Amino acid sequence: MATKGVLGNDPFQRGAAQRPTESRSSQVREPAEAPAAKKARPASGKAAAKKAAPSKATAKGGKTVETPAIHGAKTVQVRKIAAKAPKGAKGRKPGRAAGPSSEEAQRLREPAAPVTPRRRPPARVPVIPEGVEGTKPRTKEELEVDQVLATAVASEATEAAAEAAAEVAVETLLRLQAEQTGVPRPAPGSLDEIWNRELATAVVAEAAEAAEAAEAAAEAVLESALAAAKSGARPQVETQDLEERTTISSAYVEDEESSRDFDDEVTIIDRAYREETEPYLDGLPEQSEEEQPDTERDEFPPGRTTPLSVVPPPSDREPAQEPFFTDQAQQEPPSPPPGGMFSLAKEIALQALASASVGKALGTAQGLLGAALAGLGASGSTSLDEYGRDSELVSELQPLLDFLYERYWRVSVQGADVVPVGGAILVANHSGALPFDGLVASMALQRERTELREPRWLVEDQIFHAPVLGTLFNRLGAVRACPENAVRLLDERRPVIVFPEGYQGLSKPFAQRYQLKRFGRGGFVKLALRTGAPIIPVAIVGSEETTPLLGRIPAGFLGVPYVPLTSPMPLPARWTLRFGEPMSMEGLGPDAASDLAEVHRLTERTREAIQGMLQALLRERRSVFAG
Amino acid sequence: MDATHAGKRGLRVAVTGASGDFGRLLLPLLEKDPAVESILVLDVARPEGAKVEYHRVDLTRHDAESELTEALTERRVDALYHLAFLLGAVRSGSLAHELEVVGTINVLAAVGRARLPRLVVPSLTAVYGARGQHPALLREEAPLLGCPQSRFVSDKVEVEGQVRAFRERYPDTRVLVLRFAPILGPSMDNPATRMLKRPVVPTLLGFDPLWQAVHEEDAARALHRALKADTSGEFNIVGQGVLPLSGLVRQAGGRLLPLPGPVFRTAVHALTAVGAATLPVALLDYIHYSWVADGERAETALGFIPIHHARDAAAALRRS
Repeated sequence: MATKGVLGNDPFQRGAAQRPTESRSSQVREPAEAPAAKKARPASGKAAAKKAAPSKATAKGGKTVETPAIHGAKTVQVRKIAAKAPKGAKGRKPGRAAGPSSEEAQRLREPAAPVTPRRRPPARVPVIPEGVEGTKPRTKEELEVDQVLATAVASEATEAAAEAAAEVAVETLLRLQAEQTGVPRPAPGSLDEIWNRELATAVVAEAAEAAEAAEAAAEAVLESALAAAKSGARPQVETQDLEERTTISSAYVEDEESSRDFDDEVTIIDRAYREETEPYLDGLPEQSEEEQPDTERDEFPPGRTTPLSVVPPPSDREPAQEPFFTDQAQQEPPSPPPGGMFSLAKEIALQALASASVGKALGTAQGLLGAALAGLGASGSTSLDEYGRDSELVSELQPLLDFLYERYWRVSVQGADVVPVGGAILVANHSGALPFDGLVASMALQRERTELREPRWLVEDQIFHAPVLGTLFNRLGAVRACPENAVRLLDERRPVIVFPEGYQGLSKPFAQRYQLKRFGRGGFVKLALRTGAPIIPVAIVGSEETTPLLGRIPAGFLGVPYVPLTSPMPLPARWTLRFGEPMSMEGLGPDAASDLAEVHRLTERTREAIQGMLQALLRERRSVFAG
Repeated sequence: MDATHAGKRGLRVAVTGASGDFGRLLLPLLEKDPAVESILVLDVARPEGAKVEYHRVDLTRHDAESELTEALTERRVDALYHLAFLLGAVRSGSLAHELEVVGTINVLAAVGRARLPRLVVPSLTAVYGARGQHPALLREEAPLLGCPQSRFVSDKVEVEGQVRAFRERYPDTRVLVLRFAPILGPSMDNPATRMLKRPVVPTLLGFDPLWQAVHEEDAARALHRALKADTSGEFNIVGQGVLPLSGLVRQAGGRLLPLPGPVFRTAVHALTAVGAATLPVALLDYIHYSWVADGERAETALGFIPIHHARDAAAALRRS
C-alpha cells in the first residue's frame, strides 16, 4: 500500500498514465485517414519504436522515463500523418478533417507545443492560396466550404507545429537513449540525471513563450482566411491573398525571431551539456541518421545547423500546474465541434486555462477545496502528524497562504532574530474573532527564521470543540492548549506560540481591541520555569481589524458558546508582528513554578511588555488598511 | 523467579480465552517459539496445536476459580495470558460482562493463589475515552475516563481497575497490561473493523478525529513480546502514524457519510431505542474527538516497534 502512495505521487508515473489515452485517441482517429497512414507508418513509426525498445530493456533504472517516451513517439508519428492527410482530402470532405484535427491539435499542444514555431511556417504559405484559388466561382455553399477549410488549415498549422515540437523531443530522447545504450547508464540520481531534469525544466519554460507566438500565427491565418471567404469577389481575393501572405510572412518572421532566441538559448544549454557529458557523446554516429527523415521533408527549413538535442523526454516537460489543464483537456467531449468559430473559441479558452496565472488560481481553488473537505471531516488524508497537522493540505494551500501573507495582509515582522534556536515560548496577544493570528505568527517565524523547527501554536479548547473551524485549524497546525502538549512540543525543540488571554482574547468586543485581558493562570510562566525555555513576548497588530468581532450568535447546540459575527471575508488590514527581547527569569528555578506569587509577578511583567509593544506599534501605525 | 531466567527448561504458558481474537493471534507465535515448551489452554473450546495442553474451564461458572487454581498449581506455569475478552458482536451484554469482569476476578484470584510470576492482560486505548480536553498524545498515566455509555469500554475499564488492585497486592507478579489501538486485519472482528467494513460509514460533519490502528500482525508480536520482556506496567500498543477517521475509512475502502451532529445523535439514539442499532452509541465519542495514544513506552520498555502503518492496517481490511 505504501508503494502505491509513492507511485501515485511520482511525476513520471503521472506522465505514463496520461500518454496512453492520447495515443488511444489518435488511434481512434486513424481509420479516417487510413490509406495515407498505413503507408507512412511502417517506415517511420516502427523504426522509432524499434530503436526505443532495446534501450528500454537495457536501461533498467530509467524505465519509467522511457515508457512514456515510446508512447510519445508513436503518437508523434501518427500525428505526422494526420497533418499530411487533410491536404489530399481537402476538396472532398473538409468538414470532417477540420473537426477532429483541431481537437487533436489542442490535445497535443499541451505536452508538445513549446518548440513549435521553427519549422511550420514555410509549409503554410503555399497551402492557403491553393485552397482559396481552388474555389473560383464563389457560391454560397462554397463560402461555407471556405470557412471550414480555413479552420482546417489553422488547426493543421497548430497541429503541425505541435508535431514538430514532439519530433524534436523524440529525437532528443532517442539520442539520449542511444547514448545510454552505448555507455553504461549513470546511476539514478547521479549528477547526469539531475542535470537532464534541470535542463528539461529550463527548456520547458523557454518553450512556453515560443508557443504563444505560434498560436498568434495560427490565429492570423484563420482570421484572414475567413475574411477572404466572406469577401467573395475574385479580384479582392487576390489582394486578400497578398495580405495573407504578408500577415503570414510577418508572423513567420516573428516566429523565426523567437525561435532563434530559443535556439541560442538551447545552444548554450547544449554546449554546457556537452561539456558535462563529453565522454558519452563521442560514440554517436546514429544520431545524424535519425534526423534524416526530417531534413528530407520539403517543408523543412534548411540551414539549421545545431541539432536541437536537449529537449527533454515528454514526461519531463509538464510544469507543476499542468495537471489541471490536462484534466480539462481530457475531459473535453471528443465530439467534433459544430463550427469553426466555436472550435476557435474553445481553443482560446483552453489556452487561457493553460496560462500560468490561471493554473495557479486553479491550484489555489483545489487547495481551498481540500481545506473545505478537511474542515467538513471528509478529506481522507493520510499525511497527518500526531498533532493533526496535514502537511499535504498545507502545501496545497501554500500559494493562498503566501498571497494572504504577502499581498493581502502585507505582514511586516520586526525582531524575529531574537527567537533562539530550540524550544521557546512565544507569548502573543490574541485578537480578532477568528484565530488567524497563530497561523500568521507561525508563518512569519517560518519565513524569517528558516533554521528553526516548524513552530506550532496552541489554541484553546473552545475552538477545538467547534465543528469545521476546529478541524481546519488543527490541520493547519494548531495544537490544543494543555501543559502536556506544550511540554512535548518544547521537548521537540520547537517554538511554541501561546495566547495566554485564551478565549477571552478572541471574544473581546471591537471597542476593546488591543487591550490585553487577564493572562489566565500563568500556565506559560510555569511551563517556562519547569522546562527552562525562554519566554519571548510578541505583539501582533492587524488581526483585530482583519476579523472584527461585531456580535455573537449563541450556538450551544453546536458545542460552542457562540458563533462570532464578523465580516464574511477577512479584511485586508496590514499586519505587524514585533518580537521582544526574551524575558529574564531572574534566576528562578523549576521550584518557583509552584510559587503562585512569583508566577503571577512574571505573568504580569510579560503582559506589560506585550502591552507596551502593542501601544508602540499602534502609535507608529499610520493607517489600518492602506500602505 | 522470572520467566526470563527460567534456565534451560522451556516456558510453560497458560492461556485463557485462546479461541478468541487475541488467542488466535498469539497461539501460532507461541507454537513457533522454541523457548515455549507447552501451552496450557484454559478455555471452553480446544484449539489446534502441537504444544497445546487443554484444560476445560468455563470462566463464567462460580467454581471457575478453584478449577483455575488447580490447573495452574498442578504443574509449574511461567506466565498466564488472560485473553478471555469479547471483541466480536455480542448478543448478550450481561454474558459479556459476566465473562470479562467476573471472569477476570476469578483469574486474578487464581493467579494470586498460584503465585504465578507473570500475568499479561490485553486492554484497549479506548479506555482513555475520547474527550475534547485530552492532550494530543495520551500517555499511560492518563486517567481512564472510558466511555460511560458503552458496556464494551466500561467493562475494560473495570478490568483494568481490578488488575491494578491485584498488582498492588501481589508485587511479586509481573503484570503487563497492553492497551491496543483498534486492531485491524483480515481475521479481526471488533467494533472498529465492523464499522470500517461498512460500505458507507456515517461520521460527524465538521469533525475528523485522529485515530490509530494496529495491524493484527503487530498486535500478535506485541502480545508475544510480553512473554519475555523484563518490565511491567501498562503499555500503549499502537501502529505507526495516525490517520483521520476519514482517511481510515477511505483506506479501508468505505465511503463517508458526514452527518450534522444533532441529526446523527438523534438517529443513533432512535435506532438504539428500537433495538436496530447499526452503530453503537459508544462510538459517538470516538468519531467526535481524537484519541491518540503515545506508543513510546512500548517501544523503549517492551521493545515493541510496529512494522505496519495505520494506513496499511486499514488497507488490509479492504483486501479481506
